Amino acid sequence: MTPKERVNKFFNREAVDTMPLFSGMGMVTIQAIEEMGINFAEVHTSGELMAASAIKTAEMFGLDGVVVPYDMCTVPEALGRGVSLYADAEGILYPTVPSKWATLDEVDLPEDFSGIFDQGRMPVVDDAIKRCLEYEGGKYAVGGWVLGPFTMGGQLMELDVLLKGLRKDKERVTAFLEKMTDLVITVAQHYQELGVDFINIREMGSGTDLLSPRMWKTLIMPNLTRVFDSLKAPRVNHICGGTDLIVSMMNECGAEAISVDQKNTLTETREKIGDQVLLLGGFDPYGTLVQGEAADVEAVIKGNVDDGVDAVWPGCDIWPDVKKENMEAFVAAVRKYGKAPTAAVGRL
Amino acid sequence: MACDKRDELIQALHEGVVEMDEDLVLETANKVLEEGCNVYDAIMNGLAAGMEEVGDLYDQQEYFVPELLMCADALYVGLNVLKPHIDPADLGGRAKGQVVIGTVQGDVHDIGKNIIKMMFEVAGFTVHDLGRDVPLEKFAEEQLRTDSEIVALSAMMTTTMMGMEKVVEMIKAKNPNVKIMLGGAPVTDDVTKLFGADGYAETAGNAVQEAVKMVSQLRKLQD
Repeated sequence: MTPKERVNKFFNREAVDTMPLFSGMGMVTIQAIEEMGINFAEVHTSGELMAASAIKTAEMFGLDGVVVPYDMCTVPEALGRGVSLYADAEGILYPTVPSKWATLDEVDLPEDFSGIFDQGRMPVVDDAIKRCLEYEGGKYAVGGWVLGPFTMGGQLMELDVLLKGLRKDKERVTAFLEKMTDLVITVAQHYQELGVDFINIREMGSGTDLLSPRMWKTLIMPNLTRVFDSLKAPRVNHICGGTDLIVSMMNECGAEAISVDQKNTLTETREKIGDQVLLLGGFDPYGTLVQGEAADVEAVIKGNVDDGVDAVWPGCDIWPDVKKENMEAFVAAVRKYGKAPTAAVGRL
Repeated sequence: MACDKRDELIQALHEGVVEMDEDLVLETANKVLEEGCNVYDAIMNGLAAGMEEVGDLYDQQEYFVPELLMCADALYVGLNVLKPHIDPADLGGRAKGQVVIGTVQGDVHDIGKNIIKMMFEVAGFTVHDLGRDVPLEKFAEEQLRTDSEIVALSAMMTTTMMGMEKVVEMIKAKNPNVKIMLGGAPVTDDVTKLFGADGYAETAGNAVQEAVKMVSQLRKLQD
């Protein structure tokens, strides 16, 4: 079974030989970047380097999938909000959006979003996705991802304005989020047309660290549901931060898989969502792969498996500056504990 | 001047902040001036105390971030009215000098930082706000330029938090007496010690939460 076949069968909930090892968030490591002789800032502006770094990481550690791009600014940049790449900064910094709209009055969006794919770095992302798909005749599963409508909104306009607007200016914020939903659908459908193996919608800024479950139900859930209704399977619904109070509603949005981070109580989530939905999660990638010791990694991964996930996913992007031995321990542990069937996926 | 309505007005300011009622806060703040009540008392025991309760409501998951931000807006309404009228004698030995504050490079999340800034202002500090996504060396430069006693660094993401260590090194190398406070979701006591900083906004997973908790810490600083 090839890595790609393993992931595709997994999403179809067909039996696989072992738990697939992949993610819907960034999985590039500094070891791959250094071996290529480049720095992290360079990968964001070249489809060739973006794809090569993702594939190099998968080859080095024996992963089943690759995901591009690595930063969350490509769509805002294409809509004119700019990007800070930190080419001269010491160490690793992810790009950020430098000029968000400061008020709802400033919002200036096109009628439809079909024209954004030749703007900014969108062509670079397309190029990277195509290169990943073509690598060795389609060896790896290729994940596409788009921020969810609310999180995308927070990348385009100041988050505090958006958050306060949810209460103070509900009508206009609701309309803005509906427009964001159109945007997310346009981009996600585009990546599906390119041929990605799954699409991950990352509504990461909507956990209960920020929003009440009540607000999630009225302002986030309808938009996410519309996004998933517009997409083909397989679809992943990812939220990081506090999700225990909203995970049942996440499950009602229509995706084949729910992805959560280390704040989620996985055992309870499995009970809530049942055995028909894929549960992906949820270890702390920074604490486990960067800060922790290699000897402690296995217990973390085993804990996730024991708690009922169908695939062990990092709860967020893997921070590129991982310890090599921790990354190797992560892969070894998934292979060791991933042999047994999980709640939603059997084994060959 | 005696202020017969002190308790009533303090309560109204408190309630206005907790209930996100900017009109009530504005009206009450003006009454504080009309009645000749102690403005500093009204700020600290009305507005700031109200914000402390907001922090408790957040901890109890009764309030979430949109509510916190609206409470902070209500507090600002009162602060804008009252602050110009603070009797310098009230600040007396209480004014704690100057603070340089900012969110470190690579991090554009500044909601928590802005609430911390507000609390410093409430407590009588002069605040030099560098904004967000601030190049690391800028903190040391601004501290030297302003001769500030405190530098407060904020990071919402674990990954940008790592830049704080470099800032601490840079500042301590030039001026070991500067107090450096760290804040933000990923910051813990261990990180603070590891980075050689002097204090942190207690963390439980969210920058705003820690920011609100700073009220208590700042009030203790004044004693």
